[in-house]
Amino acid sequence: MISLRADRRDIAAGARTMVPWLAGIVPFGLVIGVSAVQADVPTLAGWLTGPLIYAGSAQLATIGMIGAGTAPVVVVASALIINIRLIFYSATMARYWRGTPLWWRMVAAYLIVDPSVAVGLDGYRRLGRGRGHAHYLGGAVLLWVSWLTAIAAGAMVGAGLPAWLHLEFVIPLYLVGQAIAKLARPAQRRAIFAAAAVALLALTAPLQLGIALAITAGVAAGLTARPAGPARSIHPLKPSTEVPR
Amino acid sequence: MNAWTVILAAGLGSYLFRLSMIVLFDRITMPAYLQRASELVAPAAFAALAAAGVATVCMGLGATRAAAPLAAVAAAVIAVLRTGSPQAAILVGMPALWVATALLPS
Repeated sequence: MISLRADRRDIAAGARTMVPWLAGIVPFGLVIGVSAVQADVPTLAGWLTGPLIYAGSAQLATIGMIGAGTAPVVVVASALIINIRLIFYSATMARYWRGTPLWWRMVAAYLIVDPSVAVGLDGYRRLGRGRGHAHYLGGAVLLWVSWLTAIAAGAMVGAGLPAWLHLEFVIPLYLVGQAIAKLARPAQRRAIFAAAAVALLALTAPLQLGIALAITAGVAAGLTARPAGPARSIHPLKPSTEVPR
Repeated sequence: MNAWTVILAAGLGSYLFRLSMIVLFDRITMPAYLQRASELVAPAAFAALAAAGVATVCMGLGATRAAAPLAAVAAAVIAVLRTGSPQAAILVGMPALWVATALLPS
């Protein structure tokens, strides 16, 4: 049952959980806006990559390749290869959206991207399936609005952010935090170390295929661990709250 | 195909990717092993994106100046391990990056 009117607090909580992501995502959106102006692409078409493709790396690649005069089929294929991870995310969210109305699945699926999946999973695990929908929507809509606004601002004001802030490093750091915080379970620990190692080895792979390869390797490595293993606290002062089975 | 059509096609394909498994697993029950696998996607994706992101930044800086982001990552890892909070990575890592960048010779 989707009842958003009753879940305003969960929507707000989802939006709050998204806020740390915005520190890194907004500068990235500004960069895409700037690149759309600099490339030989109509500014409105560059901005439309936001609502239509809605995935930063694929947007940057699309704008850059159109600007460079790459063959259209190659541009589309490249964008889709970069976005292959969205299929993995779709499979991850499917279990929470099973049996929900079609309109919800169509809207919620449209909003799937790395940060919204992270915030959504956090909500579903803490609040359960019903309240998790509102939590997901709160975070995902805030991200969508911020992303499109940042691209538009980038197209209008250009690159005016001070370079010394190194805001391009916020996202990698945030992802480091997310990965380290998930080290407690043996299966996740294997997945994390394997994925990181393969990502580094496949860094020079074309079209960001290294990321898809690393995710596949990580999942495969995680599946080799015994299911439902005991969670070990990563916090030295806090014992695990989960009872080993 | 002009720029508009290319962007529309890439957008449509991306949306179908997003919708694919959600529609598929609404009709059939997800096998247990796939359910286990789906729980591992997010940690694997975050680790892959983090490792690739840090490595890309470091490679763009050269051997000496790459020490600053690496120090920031080390500080972030220690902060998350000690506090158990993922947010500590940014709160500790970014100031560590600014300080390390200022201290390193340009």
